[in-house]
Amino acid sequence: MPDIADPQARVDLPDTGRQTRAAESSAVLWLVLAGGVLLLLLGWLLPWFVEQTASGVGHSPMDVIVSSPTGIGWLAVWAMGICMLALLAGVGYDVFAQLTERATPFRWSRIRAGLAILGGLCVLLIFILVVTRSELVFGDQTPDALTDNAVWMMLTGFGLLAFSYGLRPWVVTHGGLAFTAVAFVVGGLFPLMFNQSPGFVVWGAQFAGIYTLLALGLNVVVGFAGLLDLGYAAFFAIGAYSTASLSSAAHGIHLPFWVIIFIGAAAAGLFGALLGAPTLRLRGDYLAIVTLGFGEIVPDAARNSLFGNLARPSTGGPNGISGVDSPAFPTHGHAIFDYGLFGANPRPYYYTILILVALIVVVLRNVERSRLGRAWVAIREDEVAAAATGINTVQTKLLAFAIGASVSGFAGAFFGAMLGTVTPDNFEFAVSVTALTTVVLGGIGNITGVIVGALLVSFVIFWVLPGLQEWMGTVGNTVGISGLSTIQYSDYKYVVYGLILIGIMLLRPSGLLPSRARKVELETGAESEPLAAVRETG
Amino acid sequence: MALLEVDRIVKRFGGLLAVNDVSFAVDTGEIVSMIGPNGAGKTTAFNCITGLYPLSGGDVRFGGYSLMGMPPHRITKLGIARTFQNIRLFSYMTAVDNVMVGEHCRMHAHVWDALLHTPTARNEERAVEARALQTLRKLSLERYADVYARNLPYGLQRRLEIARALASGPRLLLLDEPAAGLNPQEKVELMGVISRLRDDGLTIFLIEHDMRVVMGISDRIVVLDHGEKIAEGSPKEVREDPRVIDAYLGHGASEAMRTA
Repeated sequence: MPDIADPQARVDLPDTGRQTRAAESSAVLWLVLAGGVLLLLLGWLLPWFVEQTASGVGHSPMDVIVSSPTGIGWLAVWAMGICMLALLAGVGYDVFAQLTERATPFRWSRIRAGLAILGGLCVLLIFILVVTRSELVFGDQTPDALTDNAVWMMLTGFGLLAFSYGLRPWVVTHGGLAFTAVAFVVGGLFPLMFNQSPGFVVWGAQFAGIYTLLALGLNVVVGFAGLLDLGYAAFFAIGAYSTASLSSAAHGIHLPFWVIIFIGAAAAGLFGALLGAPTLRLRGDYLAIVTLGFGEIVPDAARNSLFGNLARPSTGGPNGISGVDSPAFPTHGHAIFDYGLFGANPRPYYYTILILVALIVVVLRNVERSRLGRAWVAIREDEVAAAATGINTVQTKLLAFAIGASVSGFAGAFFGAMLGTVTPDNFEFAVSVTALTTVVLGGIGNITGVIVGALLVSFVIFWVLPGLQEWMGTVGNTVGISGLSTIQYSDYKYVVYGLILIGIMLLRPSGLLPSRARKVELETGAESEPLAAVRETG
Repeated sequence: MALLEVDRIVKRFGGLLAVNDVSFAVDTGEIVSMIGPNGAGKTTAFNCITGLYPLSGGDVRFGGYSLMGMPPHRITKLGIARTFQNIRLFSYMTAVDNVMVGEHCRMHAHVWDALLHTPTARNEERAVEARALQTLRKLSLERYADVYARNLPYGLQRRLEIARALASGPRLLLLDEPAAGLNPQEKVELMGVISRLRDDGLTIFLIEHDMRVVMGISDRIVVLDHGEKIAEGSPKEVREDPRVIDAYLGHGASEAMRTA
C-alpha cells in the first residue's frame, strides 16, 4: 500500500471515475484518428513507391480519375479529396492550437462535422459506384484492379478521419461504441480491401486474429487479476491438441468443429485452474517462474508423446498431428458449407475469427463489469483487504486463470482447425512472449488497448517484416545497394519484440491505451500481498 | 448467549507469544473496546478473530459456531466485518465500487451470469449499486460516490472503510483504531456514527488508543498487555484498575498515584 500522506505517491489520476472514462475515450479518439491518417497516407503514397503488380498494392485513385466518362465519379473523388484536405488542415490547426494552448473556436467544430458528413457521403458514393460497377470511375482499369488495396485504404482512412475528427464530441462521449463501430466496419471490409492479395487476408485470419484472442485471454490473468503468467502458450497448445485429437484421422474421431472449440476451451480452462492452484501463494517473480515452467512442460510433453506412453491417445511426437478436419457448417459429414483448406480460401476463416474475437470481447466486457471483475480488481489491489471484505480469494484467482486459459484454448482450437496441422513447435516460449508483448504494448488491463497492441504487433511481425524483404529488393535495385535485399528481415522479429518492450517501458510503461487505474498502480508500484502468504507467516 | 466468545486464544509467531490465553465475550448490542499499550497484541487478536491468522490455540465462537480454521471470507459471510488500522481501501476503485465489493459475499450471480450478463446479474448489480449509494448516504459520503478512494481526504477514507464493512451486512463490526489520525471534530462525528450504528442493532468491538473516544462510547473495556488480558470491566472500573495504570504509566505508577 502506498502511503497516503506521501505526496510522491500521488500520480495523476483524475478525481472521479467519470473523468477517467472521458480521458480513456479521448485516447481512443486519437488512436482512431492516427489510424485513419496513416491508412490515408499509405493508400495515397504506396502506389507511387511500390511496384504495383508485384506487391498487389494497386493504383491510387488520383492517378485515374481523369478518365471518368460521366463525371460523377470524377466529382465525387475530387469532392472527397477537398474535404480530406480541409480536414487534414483542421488536424494541423488543432495540433497547433494545442501546442500553443490556444482554444479552438466553436464554429470550427460545426464546419468539421459538415466536412466529415459530406466527405463520408462521397466515400459512400464512390463505394457504390465501384461495387456496382455502374460507371467506370477509374477509366479503363479492370474492375479487379479498382477494388484493390490503395483505393480501399484511402477510402477507409478517409472514413476514419471523417468519423473521428469531424464527429469528435460524439466519439469522446461514446468511446467504446465508436471503437466497436470502427472495428466492425474496418474488420468487415478488410478482405474486400485486399481483394487481389489474399495474403493479407491470411495474415488477418491467422496472426492478427489468433494473437488478438491470446492477448484478450492473457489480459484477464495479467491485467484484470494482476497475476503474471509467462507460460500462456501452454493453454494455446492444449486447445490446439484438443482439436487435433478429436477431429482428425489420428484417433479416428471426427467431432464437429463447433463442438470441439468449446471442448478445447474447457480443457484449457481446466488446466488453467490446475496450474493456478499451486501458484496461489506466489506473486510477482515467483509466479512468473512457475508459469514459465508449465509453459515449457506442455509442448515438451506433446513432443515426447507423454500421454501416448501413459495411455492412448498420442500427441504424435515431434511431427504432431496432421490432417485435422477443416471447419464446416452446420456439422461435419453432411456439411452445407465446408470451409475448405485455409490456404485455398482464407476468407471464411477470417470472418470466423472476426466473430470469435467479437464474442470474446463481449463476454470479457461483461465479466469486467460484473461482481467477478470487481473482485479481481480488489484482489489485485489488496488481497488481504479483499478477503476480509468477503471475497473468496482462492476461487476468484482460480477463475481468472481458468477464464484466461479458456480464451487461449478457444484460440488454439481454431488455430488447429485452420492450419490442419498441430506440432509442438507451434507453442514455444516465443508464443507466450508475443502474447505478453502485445498486452504490455497495448495497455495492461484495457480490452481496447490489448486489441490494438495485438494488431500492431502482428502487423509488424507478420506483415511488415516479411514485406520488407520484397520492398527492400526494389529499393535496393533502385538505390544500387544489393545488400539490402539479402537480409533475412523475418529473423529479426525477436529484435522487434525487444525494441517494443524496451521502448514501451521507457516511454509509456502502462501501454499505448492504458487502463487509468492500472496505470497509476503500476507507476506507484503497489503490489498486493497474497493472503496465503500472510496466513502462513501468521 | 454472547455473540462473540473468545476462548483462551493463543497466537505464537515462532518464539514470540503475541497473544497468550486471552478470553472475553461480546454480547449482542454492546460496544466493547480493547485497549492496551503498543505491541500488546490487540491487532493480532483482531486478525485471529477475522481469520487472517490461524490460531495457535484456543477457539473463537460466533453466535455459537466455532470459527476455528475458517477462511476470512467465510467469517465475513457469517457476519463479522472489519476495518484496518492502516486504512486498506481499494485505492484505485471509486467509493461506490469499494462499497459494492463489500457486498460481494451477499451476491448470488454466478460465473456464467457474469460472462453472459444475464438479467439475474444485471438486476443484482443495479440493486447492489442502489444499496451501496444508500450506505454511502448513511455515512454522509454520497457526494463522493464517483471519486477514487485514494483521492478522498483521510477522515473520509476512514468513514468509507466503515461503509465498505457495513455493506457486507454484519452483525458484529470490528473497528481497528477508527479514530487514529482524525481531528477532534472528526472524532466527535465518529463517536456519533458508532452510537448510531449500535442503535441500528449492530454490535461493535473496537481497538482504540484515544481515551476520550474509548471512555465516551464503550459499555465495557478489555485491556491487553504483553499478549495477556490484564483487566476487563466498565470504563470506570478499568480506569481505576492498578494493573492498567501500571501497564500504561510504568510499574509502580498506581502506587505513586494512590499515595500522591
